[in-house]
Amino acid sequence: MKNKLLTIYRWIDERVELRDLIEFMGKKYVPVHEHSVWYYFGGVSLFLFIIQVVTGILLLFYYKGSEELAFESIQFIMSKVEFGWLIRSIHSWAANLFILAAIIHMFSVYFTKAYRKPREITWLTGMAMLFLGMGFGFSGYLLPWNELAFFATKVGTDIAGVVPLIGKPIMILLRGGEDVTGATLSRMFGFHVAIFPGLFVVFLGIHLLLVQRQGMSEPIGFENSPANQKTMPFFPNFLLRDLLLWLLVLNVIAILAVLFPWELGVKADPFASAPSGIKPEWYFMFMFQSLKYIPAQVFFVDGEVLGILLFGLAGLIWTLVPFWDRKSAAGQQNRLVNYVGLFVVLYMILFTIIGWLA
Amino acid sequence: MTQRHSLRISCFVFLLLTSVQTAIMAQDQCLTCHEAIEDSHVALFKKDIHYAKGLSCADCHGGDASKEEMEAAMDAKAGFIGVPKGDRISATCAKCHSDAAVMVKRYESALPLDQMELLETSVHGKLSTSGREHIAQCTSCHGAHGIVTKMNRTSPVHPLNLPATCAKCHSNATFMRTYDPSLPIDQLEKYRTSVHGKRNKSGDPKAAECASCHESHEILSAKDIRSSVYPTNLPATCSKCHSDASYMKGYGIASDQHQQYAKSVHGKALLEKKDLGAPACNDCHGNHGAAPPGLESVSKVCGTCHALNAELFSSSPHKKAFDSRKLPECETCHGNHEIVAATDELLGVGEGAVCAWCHKENENIKGFAVARTMRSLADSLIAAENEAISLVSEAEQKGMEVGEAKFKLREIRQARLETRTKVHSFDLKQFQEVADRGLAAASTVTAEAGEAIDQYFFRRWGLLVASLIITILAVSLYVYIRRIEKEQAQS
Repeated sequence: MKNKLLTIYRWIDERVELRDLIEFMGKKYVPVHEHSVWYYFGGVSLFLFIIQVVTGILLLFYYKGSEELAFESIQFIMSKVEFGWLIRSIHSWAANLFILAAIIHMFSVYFTKAYRKPREITWLTGMAMLFLGMGFGFSGYLLPWNELAFFATKVGTDIAGVVPLIGKPIMILLRGGEDVTGATLSRMFGFHVAIFPGLFVVFLGIHLLLVQRQGMSEPIGFENSPANQKTMPFFPNFLLRDLLLWLLVLNVIAILAVLFPWELGVKADPFASAPSGIKPEWYFMFMFQSLKYIPAQVFFVDGEVLGILLFGLAGLIWTLVPFWDRKSAAGQQNRLVNYVGLFVVLYMILFTIIGWLA
Repeated sequence: MTQRHSLRISCFVFLLLTSVQTAIMAQDQCLTCHEAIEDSHVALFKKDIHYAKGLSCADCHGGDASKEEMEAAMDAKAGFIGVPKGDRISATCAKCHSDAAVMVKRYESALPLDQMELLETSVHGKLSTSGREHIAQCTSCHGAHGIVTKMNRTSPVHPLNLPATCAKCHSNATFMRTYDPSLPIDQLEKYRTSVHGKRNKSGDPKAAECASCHESHEILSAKDIRSSVYPTNLPATCSKCHSDASYMKGYGIASDQHQQYAKSVHGKALLEKKDLGAPACNDCHGNHGAAPPGLESVSKVCGTCHALNAELFSSSPHKKAFDSRKLPECETCHGNHEIVAATDELLGVGEGAVCAWCHKENENIKGFAVARTMRSLADSLIAAENEAISLVSEAEQKGMEVGEAKFKLREIRQARLETRTKVHSFDLKQFQEVADRGLAAASTVTAEAGEAIDQYFFRRWGLLVASLIITILAVSLYVYIRRIEKEQAQS
């Protein structure tokens, strides 16, 4: 058996020079320090993304992306297809955990200033994937075509529509017309299973390639204290630890999916009035809740427009942090960045809780 | 002597002239002149209650009734308005009839003071086709110069005359078309065929006429929720007379219909749930042509809504049996005013079952057996439905997707309701066919819900096993990592 495997390995090695890759991985080391634990969230995000791809493909075998059949097809998946309920429930839970892991990963990178030179492109691709992840969430939310999803999409696309100049065309692009209809469902389905995955894979490829090429970022001042410069081999130590965490995450997902199966709700009725308690997904909640507190008019500017523009601007500034945080790039501590980050984390948590309780 | 005599004569002439002048001044000069020209209104007015109460022509037409000269008496400066036109007619009446100081203090009248207000808000208070005045004025019903009290037999609003008074307009197709082309114009014709109409024609003023149901001044459209003849208000309107035992004395009918109706399935639906589809008194008895449904026509009356039941009954063997025994069709089993919700208790041969009234174990044996089997099937269907509902609910509470099974519950319910209709065929084959359909649906749903509950437990066991495997793998991996890291540290 071992000989056979060795023969196969040699056969491949002769053609693609696997030995070089193994040598490269063998020489690759991961810094060990008090913040090393945050390194694992990138891997967890990747694992959850893989789960999404696998379960998503399985759901595609039965899902029908049309106004008349979407809800019924998911009902069918959940009641008739063998383990369909499990696949759908895992897909829904893993989607949320993916966003959570990606947000934690993003903040850990932010606070450890891992975005600084030479990892600006890694940060930018990561941010692009986070936004795409939210896009996955938004587009996937509508696919069951249930009442809550229908009206949440209506509200979400309405908000996009108030952006000056480009808002209306974006809203029509997202909806496939003036209103949320079957055309919106087809469109969201297209975004969810074709456009977003295509873009995501490109960014993910670049991101992983850069992580492998540049290695893990070390905290500022790490290189100045040779006594504390502990490392561990990427292969097999870090990879096996990653695998261990993946197993734990898999266990958590299994428990959540079985004990708290994702509900389907009632089929959307475009002619019905909106039910009370329409809320967006939890990762949009802080923005949704903030918009409620902005007055209708602020200095002759529509409050909602102002809010959206401010969030857009804040998102842009945040994304461009590697380019304005000069101190970190120079290897100096930048407390301002920490305070800004802390404020953003607290703000998001506070407004998410308020939104959840409202 | 002559001088003294002359003085006496002079005094007498003076006094005479003075008296004549005073008498002339006190007399209603309008009447004097119009009588002289043989105006027919004068004769009518002299019979009018207003004349008896001391009112003059000028009180309505304006002017100065004390002036002998026509120009002075009918001078606009003296307030003369001539014949009031349009809304001015009712306004002229309301001048006194809405004024408590005049009606109560001066004439000690007990007439209500809000007649004008009610008329204006009534259906007759809407604008006429000309758009210049309201549809009806006081004079439209009460007349103008010969107005007498309502209970005076000659009054157009006397109960015996009122149907004809209302019909002046309401039976006039040309006139009514201009206001409401959908409103029938044969109410009087129908009324004359009703018990009320016949009694009215024979001179019974107690029998209901138009105003008894529609009110007098405050008449509203039957579609208006405030109307006394709006479906939810109609039973109370009818019961004003029909629930009054002393009023109904002498007519030989009970006075507890409303009390019974209110407890019935129809009464509860209409009066409590405000379900306008439920029948009020008029839906069974007719409205203008109100009469109790005859023995043969009961099933036709009930059949206007319960069409399938009536059709099945008509083609069943019971039709002939009931007719020959002169039993009212639906009423025999279901009652009339106090029709309670038909439950399966009515079916069968046990206590409370109506079939057993005629079908005994040793008499009418075939019917007895059919009733017993039907009841047994109905009970089985109810039990199967309850079990299916309970299992579906349990599966749903466990978080299982049972949308399809839940939908199929409707099939069972539909079959159960259909069996209640099929009972009226009194044909076991037809009944069983429907019951079997319901039982089959119940069996499918029970199986599906049962599977969902089994699946629920399977999932938990599956999770336990999967979780155990993952945990063992994780622990093994952890041990392996520790081992290789120990080896690395040693080397």
